[in-house]
Amino acid sequence: MFQLTATPASALADEPVHIRVTGLPPLQIVTLTASLKDERGYVYQSKAFYKANEVGELDLMEAPSIGGDYVGVHPMGLFWSLKPEKVFRRLIKQDVMNSPFYVTLNLYDSVYVQVSTTDQPRASQTVQRWFSGPGVQRVQIQEGRVRGALFLPPGEGPFPGIMDLFGGRGGLVEFRASLLATHGFAVLALAYFGYEDLPKKLEEIDLEYFEEAANWLLAHPKIQKPGIGVISVSKGVEIALAMACFLKHVVATICINGPNAIYEFPLRYKDLVITPIPSFMERVQMDVLGAMRLRHYKGDARDELNQKSVLPIEKAQGAILFIVGDGDECMNSREYAEQALDQLRSHGRNNGRMLVYPGAGHLIEPPYTPLCYASPHRLGSGILLWGGDPVAHAAAQEHSWGEIQKFFREQLTQTRSKL
Amino acid sequence: MIQLTATPASTLTDEPVHIRATGLCPSQIVIFQATLEDEKGNLFHSQAYYKASEVGEVDLDHAPSLGGDYIGVHPMGLFWSLKPEKFLTKLMKRDVMTSPFLVQIKLYDSNLPLAQIAATDPKVSVTLERWYRAPGVTRIQVQEGHLRGALFLPPGEGRFPGVIDLFADIGGLIEYRASLLASHGFAALALAYCDYEDLPLHPEKIELEYFEEAVNFLLRHPKVLGPGIGIVSISKGAEIGLSMAIHLKQVIATVLINGPNFVFSTPQVYRGQISQPLSFSPQLVSINALGLAQFQYCFEEARSKASETFFLPIEKAQGHFLFIVGEDDKSINSKAYAEQATEQLRRNGKDNWTLLSYPGAGHMLEPPYSPLCCASKLSKLHLFMQWGGEVTLHAAAQEHSWKEIQKFLKKHLIPVVTSQL
Repeated sequence: MFQLTATPASALADEPVHIRVTGLPPLQIVTLTASLKDERGYVYQSKAFYKANEVGELDLMEAPSIGGDYVGVHPMGLFWSLKPEKVFRRLIKQDVMNSPFYVTLNLYDSVYVQVSTTDQPRASQTVQRWFSGPGVQRVQIQEGRVRGALFLPPGEGPFPGIMDLFGGRGGLVEFRASLLATHGFAVLALAYFGYEDLPKKLEEIDLEYFEEAANWLLAHPKIQKPGIGVISVSKGVEIALAMACFLKHVVATICINGPNAIYEFPLRYKDLVITPIPSFMERVQMDVLGAMRLRHYKGDARDELNQKSVLPIEKAQGAILFIVGDGDECMNSREYAEQALDQLRSHGRNNGRMLVYPGAGHLIEPPYTPLCYASPHRLGSGILLWGGDPVAHAAAQEHSWGEIQKFFREQLTQTRSKL
Repeated sequence: MIQLTATPASTLTDEPVHIRATGLCPSQIVIFQATLEDEKGNLFHSQAYYKASEVGEVDLDHAPSLGGDYIGVHPMGLFWSLKPEKFLTKLMKRDVMTSPFLVQIKLYDSNLPLAQIAATDPKVSVTLERWYRAPGVTRIQVQEGHLRGALFLPPGEGRFPGVIDLFADIGGLIEYRASLLASHGFAALALAYCDYEDLPLHPEKIELEYFEEAVNFLLRHPKVLGPGIGIVSISKGAEIGLSMAIHLKQVIATVLINGPNFVFSTPQVYRGQISQPLSFSPQLVSINALGLAQFQYCFEEARSKASETFFLPIEKAQGHFLFIVGEDDKSINSKAYAEQATEQLRRNGKDNWTLLSYPGAGHMLEPPYSPLCCASKLSKLHLFMQWGGEVTLHAAAQEHSWKEIQKFLKKHLIPVVTSQL
């Protein structure tokens, strides 16, 4: 009798699941699939083919997949290789507090390259993947100009405070903040356009808005003083680096795949205006499916004429960690990080560090997040290529997540212990 | 005044077009866009950014594209980089006789984001006709004996070298390559073998006698030059083409495009002898980040263990072979199969073959300027099957191989004496 176990059955989305099958015919080749329906009703699926051992067992911690969405030993492969049935969709959890993603694991006793709705699995298990842990609190924020959501760990605190900035897609993305809160940080997921009464489109970066948010966070009774961290991705990196340069309360900054200079729109902070480096629209490249590779699109931050747009990172007081996907098709992320580190070195500073992940793409997210290779960026913008080799990208997400938490614990706790 | 010219305005689809714009501002950045609507109403687009010269001109024969669907100097880039609006729709001309594809070339003189082009009027545009048959080519529906297909004849009295055109076993009748071959002087028989008229939907076996009948039919035709005929074949069609070359001595020139040197899926039968297919290991499929399936290595398990009897005895063929291989073929391991076949010929002391291997080219090698289709939904499965190919390299391979195919056929089918007259 076939048995499929997946433990734990309910876990945080960034925790691994141990999948085992028993009761198979010895050496039988079987199909394992995973499927998930997101909150908009879009279905994501993955599959892999495995060979049972001589006693008819299969342990995904040890057995290699021989084909399908991934090959080799990848215990969480079925999760990170989930693909949308409707191509170019990106999986993002909207409600991070009250509901998990339900992932159904199915076992078929032979090779099914394509599973139809009439095919019955021989065994099935559904696991829950949560984006917040018990006791985590979510507080909707509408203080002054600040718009977003604050996630607090359970307990009295105070907790190390982090601001979470996503990129040019706008709106409010909460799942990373809620997961970090589950790991003991107080995290403000901050929106800056395309959300509530914030501007619909991004036309300039007003650093005083982010300063207001940082000050508000630091003033919160449950947030440790005297400094906060910032985690950012893509366009958000420009903002995070600017905060690190100009706001002395930002003492730890993580920059994932983003520029060290101002692009597209000017940045304004009090009297200071940093004008953007121009982009070269004609340098867009379409891949074979018509998705746009923007990697070569932006002007060169090392060009002498563009130096006034490069952020004065030597002014940053705190530590900076650059996380780079070398397979990023959207931005020349490695170049930006290297230039920033060169700039620090040339000013005798050593507060910057870089982690480069070969084969990882632009959207480096918490572990087991399915690789989104390309998706529409904003309404009417066309499909953007993010890049990434699935196996390398999954490994990068797993490794970097540990590094992110370690970095914030070291930098933010040290600050506290200096008191 | 801005002027856009594209000449000739009406051409065979495998002929190049010269596109030029004049009257622009010096060093101005412009966007060229091509649009085509197929017979089912699907739209295809391509675009490229160019910089005008100091005298305000862009000549696509000399100027490099700076970005868009291709980069570099590619005079026909707008054609072969056409992409469907609807995901992975393949461009295929069904009516090859009475209508061309209309391709609109448009020029935008402002530096627009591509997403806004659809909502903007071009500065100037021209429409081109791309025909799949030359003037005077005739099409005859074939329903002789068991045969089902269409015979395309060049204009004139003849006689013309005869060619049988075989596609993969997706069914129906695909005519565009035969009509183009006829436009270049061949009597070309587009031959269906499944899912067409009264042919079986999914034949249980491929009977070589059917194809023998087709060879005899062609050679009997008053406008066909004998004593032998040629074959142009791809994929499963190339498997059949190879068997025809082995068993039928009237087949004297065989073009095998991305085909196997063994039988796969449906067995072959000839005069009672069955050639069994090599077994397929579906579990070896590899699915990429976008969910496109690569079946390239699904025969490798069987191939490595198979006895010699599974491989078609190519050394028995009397005619000549032209192997055309797309090295980036992701549906079957074309390069390995062609190399094994030519190795078998070498071992038997034969030198009746040429192998053209194209890096970066995929499975679907078609006449020049055909847009690359990198994957298709197979009706039998709900998967997208990847064909492979890198756009620019695939286009170059199509251009080169098409000329080589015609040269090869003419060399072996037209006796030297005749061509000197």
